[in-house]
Amino acid sequence: MSPDQSKFLNALGLIAIDTVLVLAFVDQLWFRELPCPLCILSRAGFIAAGFGIALNLLFGPRPGHYGMTLLGASIGAVVSIRQILLHIVPDTGSYGSPILGLHLYTWALMFFGLMVVGTGIMLFFERQFAPTQVQAPEKLPLLSVIGLVTFFALAAGNVVSTLSICGFGLCPHDPTGYLIFNDNLSVTSLGHPS
Amino acid sequence: MMSLPFLLFACGLAAGWTQRRGAAMGFWAAGVVVMLVLFKMQATDALNISL
Repeated sequence: MSPDQSKFLNALGLIAIDTVLVLAFVDQLWFRELPCPLCILSRAGFIAAGFGIALNLLFGPRPGHYGMTLLGASIGAVVSIRQILLHIVPDTGSYGSPILGLHLYTWALMFFGLMVVGTGIMLFFERQFAPTQVQAPEKLPLLSVIGLVTFFALAAGNVVSTLSICGFGLCPHDPTGYLIFNDNLSVTSLGHPS
Repeated sequence: MMSLPFLLFACGLAAGWTQRRGAAMGFWAAGVVVMLVLFKMQATDALNISL
């Protein structure tokens, strides 16, 4: 596999991660299901994993970048497993509505697993690691630019979203609204009793 | 506080876009450490399962 072919596959992978994060926002904004703290950490896991792919696009494929993806996906998987185990006993409830029969944290674990497997397969193709000229971002193929810009926008969007839901402290275990839009923010950030 | 990992990752992506690979990886590593600390702070209850 040539470096260019590898970059094409990496661009597709990054767009797949973008799609997952966009769907999480759709669930939050359209269906009004606020993410719990572990859900937010799962999102961070997707971004930590996608970061390595983004660096592959910006600097060319390197084993270290794939390592970042593996670590990010592994941490995300641990978060998802924790959340699944919280609800694995029958009649202990769940968080959010199921989609196609599975809850989002179960889907997340499957995606993290797919990322680990996909990254492992990519590492077999060693010709992609041949030294290449680093391209300026504006000279990257359109698919890569779309993936990268969307990925950055989603990372920044999650900063705003998480600040809105949680304020400057830890998130409530079962969020019921956007703290930043009501008086509770002062309680959360300053710790004053109400 | 829980937005910090996203902020660090976004800063890392901006550093990568401006061709600063070392800084990008540094921001990523900091984001991962913060993620792990936040996970440790969130995962406090014992799981109701027998392993």
